[in-house]
Amino acid sequence: MSSQATVAITPGRRLGLTQEYEAGTGTYVRNGIIYSSILGSKGIKEAEGSGNPTMFVERSNAKFAIPNIGSEVLARVVRINPRAASVAIMMVGSTPCQEDFQGVVRVQDIRATEKDLVQMINSFRPGDIIRAEVISLGDQRSYYLATTKNEHGVVFAQSAAGNTMVPISWEEMQDPKTGDVEKRKCAKAF
Amino acid sequence: MSANIIDRRRINGPQRSVEPIYPKQPTSTSSAGRPDGRAQNAVRPIFVKTGPLSPQASSAACPSGSAYYEQGKIRISCAIYGPRQGRKSNARMGAFDCDFKYAPFSCSWKRSHMRTSDEKEIALMLEQAISPAIRLEAYPKASIDAFVTVIESDGKAATISAAINCISAALVDAGIELYDSVAACSVALSGSQWIYDCTQEEEDKAECSLMMARMPSADEVTYLLQHGKTSPAQTEQAIQASAGVCTQVYAVICHYLQASLEQ
Repeated sequence: MSSQATVAITPGRRLGLTQEYEAGTGTYVRNGIIYSSILGSKGIKEAEGSGNPTMFVERSNAKFAIPNIGSEVLARVVRINPRAASVAIMMVGSTPCQEDFQGVVRVQDIRATEKDLVQMINSFRPGDIIRAEVISLGDQRSYYLATTKNEHGVVFAQSAAGNTMVPISWEEMQDPKTGDVEKRKCAKAF
Repeated sequence: MSANIIDRRRINGPQRSVEPIYPKQPTSTSSAGRPDGRAQNAVRPIFVKTGPLSPQASSAACPSGSAYYEQGKIRISCAIYGPRQGRKSNARMGAFDCDFKYAPFSCSWKRSHMRTSDEKEIALMLEQAISPAIRLEAYPKASIDAFVTVIESDGKAATISAAINCISAALVDAGIELYDSVAACSVALSGSQWIYDCTQEEEDKAECSLMMARMPSADEVTYLLQHGKTSPAQTEQAIQASAGVCTQVYAVICHYLQASLEQ
């Protein structure tokens, strides 16, 4: 998308027919016609394979995100009890949320194996930042999250002494200054 | 209403106040002309600025989108917060909530600091007019909140339609997915003729007013409000007239939105 004379597209503009294009982000389909749904510039992504090219509308400035089923989120642990951890969802993917959403990680969703032997106090502590996946839209108050995958879990935590800890295995983190080891369900670092 | 209640929390102005002496306005001599010299079918000039409440110093608690709207003497500002965690949290669709407030100095009489039932009713009208335009199924469990403040008002039906236009512009600025922007306009019956976009002075003399909110690209009317009594033929005439004016207002708002992006 280089410096062509881009006319800004306002919501509700007709962009194309569903016979010729796929509907991408920032668009919706009604009666076989693709319309724009946000203010932005029009773009066409070439088709991978034999399908139609995708028509999308994108905008450069920040758009706030909401969690959807299957999205990867970054959350801060607020409260723990033996059955579940309350978290505040701060980011969905790489877009921030306008205000923190409430989430819950139940103790059986922390690990994939040996779910009955998991203890919350050895997995998360209040103040930890975790990466998790949304598994359900949940109840009236919270989204349900899970950290069963290897790359999900604690990404940042501070020790009891207040220093940032480094993960040494999937279930332990170490304070580099004092040498103390604390148990957490760590995310696999890349 | 508030004449006997003394507001102890704020520094009060004098209980009695007198209007300043204004220079004489040139009044039109012919009875057919409008006081401000507009044509019968002319809408007041519109100005829209999006993003006046963007974060500058800190991003703490700043709105996702905002707009400032002027139409003649009407001045309205709107802030959109969202999508954020909803209180009712229906899993299927998001919710759109609107809060409407006249500033105490916005009308020619002093308005209350507290939200009155009038303002709550208008807030419900705005919700009903705007909700059909938002793609709420794209925001499950989330809530989109609009806060509208009328800085200066001039004609009730015209102010409500200006509020709808302002919220539309603010929603677009916030990047909320919409089916289309909503454009609104008002007409009033004076004698046997429908005059467009009335000021407070003209509205006081009119027998009936009609306000329409419309999505031009889908050709759908989202809200229709009539005050006063007319025959069905007259109402039909007003609806036809308003539909055309809504399209014009929509074009003006889109022009400002496009200009805001090209900055």
